[in-house]
Amino acid sequence: MPRRRDRKEQMLAAAQYPLDWLEERSGLIGGLRYFLFRKVPGDSGWWHTLGSATLTAFLVQLGTGVILAMYYKPDPKSAYESVQHINNDVTLGWLVRGMHRWGASVFIILIFFHMARVFLFGAYKYPRELNWVVGVLLLPLALLEGFSGYLLPYDQTAYWATVVGININGTGPFIGPFLASFLRSGPEITGDTLSRFYSIHMLLLPGAILGLIGLHLYLVVRLGVSSPPWSPEAAGRERAEPPPVPGSGLVNPAPRGVTKRPD
Amino acid sequence: MASRRVEENRVAFQRYKEDVKRDGKPFYPYAMFHDTVMSLVVVCVIVGLAFVWHYTSLLGPSLAAKADPGTVSFVPRPDWYFYFLFYLLRIFKWPNSVILGTVGIPTILLILALAIPFIDLRRERRLLRRPIAIVAAVLVALSMGVLTYKGATAKEALGAELLADVPNWVKSEQLPPQALPGAKLFATSGCLNCHTYQGVGGSQLGAPNLSAEGSKNKGITFQIAHLKCPSCVNKGSPMPSFAAFGNANLRKLAIFLEASKGPH
Repeated sequence: MPRRRDRKEQMLAAAQYPLDWLEERSGLIGGLRYFLFRKVPGDSGWWHTLGSATLTAFLVQLGTGVILAMYYKPDPKSAYESVQHINNDVTLGWLVRGMHRWGASVFIILIFFHMARVFLFGAYKYPRELNWVVGVLLLPLALLEGFSGYLLPYDQTAYWATVVGININGTGPFIGPFLASFLRSGPEITGDTLSRFYSIHMLLLPGAILGLIGLHLYLVVRLGVSSPPWSPEAAGRERAEPPPVPGSGLVNPAPRGVTKRPD
Repeated sequence: MASRRVEENRVAFQRYKEDVKRDGKPFYPYAMFHDTVMSLVVVCVIVGLAFVWHYTSLLGPSLAAKADPGTVSFVPRPDWYFYFLFYLLRIFKWPNSVILGTVGIPTILLILALAIPFIDLRRERRLLRRPIAIVAAVLVALSMGVLTYKGATAKEALGAELLADVPNWVKSEQLPPQALPGAKLFATSGCLNCHTYQGVGGSQLGAPNLSAEGSKNKGITFQIAHLKCPSCVNKGSPMPSFAAFGNANLRKLAIFLEASKGPH
């Protein structure tokens, strides 16, 4: 019997070894453990899933976008045909393109829902002001992704909507004309316009969005999420008496559920 | 020395951290369960939409005709989530207040959104005690919903139907016969996707009514130059260039426009 226990301990140690190795050299395991087991307010629930749902929609855009980029050709002569090729010939190409096309709409809708939730919860207030600012900056970036991606199929709707869209940019004061001519990469829409939109759509904007999402998530983990404002158990609520000091051993010695904590 | 408000904020956040530490639940598995279910729903909705798009025509065609800069009829339509912006152009009409619709209002909204946490400094989070915030949120949501709906249902005339209107134009504007080819071209070339003429056409892009364009007596040379490069003649004009039509067609259009002296 002792031999068996030795074997089991050896197995556990062997399984543990790579994790310990990684933790000792990077601290990543500890970070992951902190992320997973950090406490969130007990009354957080479905309302708080809109942010991660938005992130999921963005990840769908990333995944499907990478696959589309494998087949898409950003050139006025072949862009339209390459999209037809994705639609008609590539295995499940229609599904990937459809998910990318409609994932964009879902992404935008979820951003607005998430924003509305944060606004109604008053979750932008101290100390989360900066995270609200980061989130608001993500909104125009997402809309610009929609605008720059709209041209890429290079069909009639795409082309003319972009012509008018760029011209509308041009009506802006001071920088408007420069912005319009930058987007067009010249006075007319040409092949350079298409590759410029492609680059903006799949390098510049996703990079900026990923960076801001990283900052957004860091701040969420660091500051925690707000309880629903109507919750009687809301974390940080005002109390008539000062709250019990945790760990003092005097106020709340029994396990939770056995005695009711005085409020 | 921190002000009293800052001091109270710090105390409240300290209390929040202590409450969460004592009474909170671990992110895994509780919150993560909710997040995972919601994310699965999101992915299913996206896949479902892709299927509906592919197998039915409910969500529109998957691809229009290939882009053609020299086209004679087009419908400039953005993706649906820009409808509310586009519909603003119907309210703020070219040319006097168009900047307000294209750049002004979106910029103001963005700055306001960024400023919210620095304007609303109270700690109060309960909805019924934030009447201004509630009213503002409802107004913004309502106006965006209404603008999106209006943008989605804005009437767009088709060239073929508009052609039937040309005889009426000849009658009410008393167009000379040499303006007729231009009138037909005007009806079928997509001009009326943005402009209105004798009560037909779409104005959701805020382009001017051209029924009495000729009464300004700008001349045929000006009209052709403007059609070739609108923004060269009219600084900041969002109208696209129609140079691809060729000189002969542009001359027809110019004759028609100059002959349009308004209804008699």
